[in-house]
Amino acid sequence: MRTMQTAKNIIEVNNLCKTFKIHKRATGFKGALKDIFHPTYEWKKAVDNVSFSIHEGEMVGFIGPNGAGKSTTIKMLSGILYPDSGDMQVAGYVPYKQRKEYVANIGVVFGQKSQISWDLSPLDSYEVIRHIYRIPPKQYKENLARYTELLDMGSFIRQPVRQLSLGQRMRADIAAALLHSPKIVFFDEPTIGIDVVGKDKIRKFIRTLNQTDNITMIFTTHDMQDIVKTCERLIIIDDGQKLYDGSLENVKKGYGSSRIIEAEFESLPISLDLSHAVVSDADNSGLKKRIAFSTDEVSVNEMMSALMNTHNIKDVSIREPEIDAIIRDIYEGRIVMN
Amino acid sequence: MTRYLSFAGIKFRSKMAYRFDYVLGILNTLLSFVVYWSIYKALYNGASEVDGVTFSMVTTSFLISLGLSAAFHKNEMFLQDKIKQGTIANELLKPVNFKLRMLFEDMGEGAFHVVFNFLPTVIIACFFAPIQAPSGARDVLLCLVSVILGYVVLWEISFIVQSWSFTLFSVWGLITIKNVMVNILAGAYIPMWFMPDWLRSAIRFTPFDSIYFTPVQLYLGELGGKEIVFHFARQLFWITALWAVGEYFWRSGIKKLVIQGG
Repeated sequence: MRTMQTAKNIIEVNNLCKTFKIHKRATGFKGALKDIFHPTYEWKKAVDNVSFSIHEGEMVGFIGPNGAGKSTTIKMLSGILYPDSGDMQVAGYVPYKQRKEYVANIGVVFGQKSQISWDLSPLDSYEVIRHIYRIPPKQYKENLARYTELLDMGSFIRQPVRQLSLGQRMRADIAAALLHSPKIVFFDEPTIGIDVVGKDKIRKFIRTLNQTDNITMIFTTHDMQDIVKTCERLIIIDDGQKLYDGSLENVKKGYGSSRIIEAEFESLPISLDLSHAVVSDADNSGLKKRIAFSTDEVSVNEMMSALMNTHNIKDVSIREPEIDAIIRDIYEGRIVMN
Repeated sequence: MTRYLSFAGIKFRSKMAYRFDYVLGILNTLLSFVVYWSIYKALYNGASEVDGVTFSMVTTSFLISLGLSAAFHKNEMFLQDKIKQGTIANELLKPVNFKLRMLFEDMGEGAFHVVFNFLPTVIIACFFAPIQAPSGARDVLLCLVSVILGYVVLWEISFIVQSWSFTLFSVWGLITIKNVMVNILAGAYIPMWFMPDWLRSAIRFTPFDSIYFTPVQLYLGELGGKEIVFHFARQLFWITALWAVGEYFWRSGIKKLVIQGG
């Protein structure tokens, strides 16, 4: 056993890089023929010089658009993929070098790949897992009872997995990844394709576990509500590079002064000549406008009177920008975080 | 090690669920045995022996090698499917040696087929074919040990070809070629005694005759004390050598692994 390098950081990643070779297939019969003799390849940098560290017990949201390199990073962190360059140390191990010993300390949930056997019931699959991880009988019994209750699995734990709904299967999968009491759990899109109620059950469970068991968790998702409801810290990556690493609060705070007024006007034409605001259509009628501005430049009061002095307004609402909109702006490069 | 044995045990038990499968398996094995037996019966045409090989030796040899090759048949698309669908990721997340686990699970399946397919076939065949009785309990025991070692040799050859799916992505064609090669060179179709001398001496330098022919020779009591040691040593040599080769392909494979599908 190695001793942990630092007491605080359980995950340490420095300048991680991974490049994939992509076979570019030519189209058509002629192209296919040519392809056999002269295949063309393209190199794609999936992860490009990424560094971060994570404390023990932290819960970190890992987000980025499709193809940003999130899953590749998770797969390197969990010892499945070999990095091209860079260092990483997780729970005192170098994942890809000490895979067999290392993976006993972690749990991984893939939303898109079930780990439990299609033909067996979750309970039978858990039995196999018990052997693989050599979980002591007492710990196994306790964990099983606890997860069955928390994830509400009692009704389907003895049914073959192929007969389960996606939400049930996902919960069964989450329990499977946790039976051996891992120190770190990676969730790779655990809520993908699951309904609102199911998502809520999963989020609550993850939150509870993080708080009571002090398990370090990394969570990738495309649903910002997953992050808002579970994580305090956020890492955003795109094109293989880290765009943001900090608290979720900070992301929102950066926009704390911005407001959006949505106004529905009585009649056309609408001529808005506002120097400190961005005006856009809120629907197709042309009567509903969205006016975004910062309260540092114009007060809500001033803005409202500017609107009301020139037009008749039927309905109005004032909002803070949603986290989704902020993230979209970050992905699309409209906002540069630092 | 007990953990890996339990993988074999779990596989053995889970196979019990498919009972209809093994009834059909027995019929299948019996049928191919009867076909080969009839061909050699016609070839012998009542002669008691050919080149010092008796008809009952040939029959027994066929029963053992054909029966075992049927019993040891397994899903050889296993690794390719895992790599294609990306579920290899799940296997790599388990704190076990993947290759050893796969070997033991396959051994569990093989043991199941030996008990529920091979043994019934042997018992049924004894009623109508001149099967030679073993020369002693010691020979049966030695034969059993060499069957297990022979299985590992066979498994490792399969694993090496399967591990090429990391680079080739599709190995079905290669597996088919390999299976024909193994069955011919290991003496499942033509007993080793009747092969041309040059081929037989060439095979002696390959792992193929340690798969079925060593068990056959041990069962028939054809080998003397020193030869027994030599044959076991050869089986162990091939197990070690092929394991190293398989390990090389496996390691270089997972290094360039791309997880398909998200």
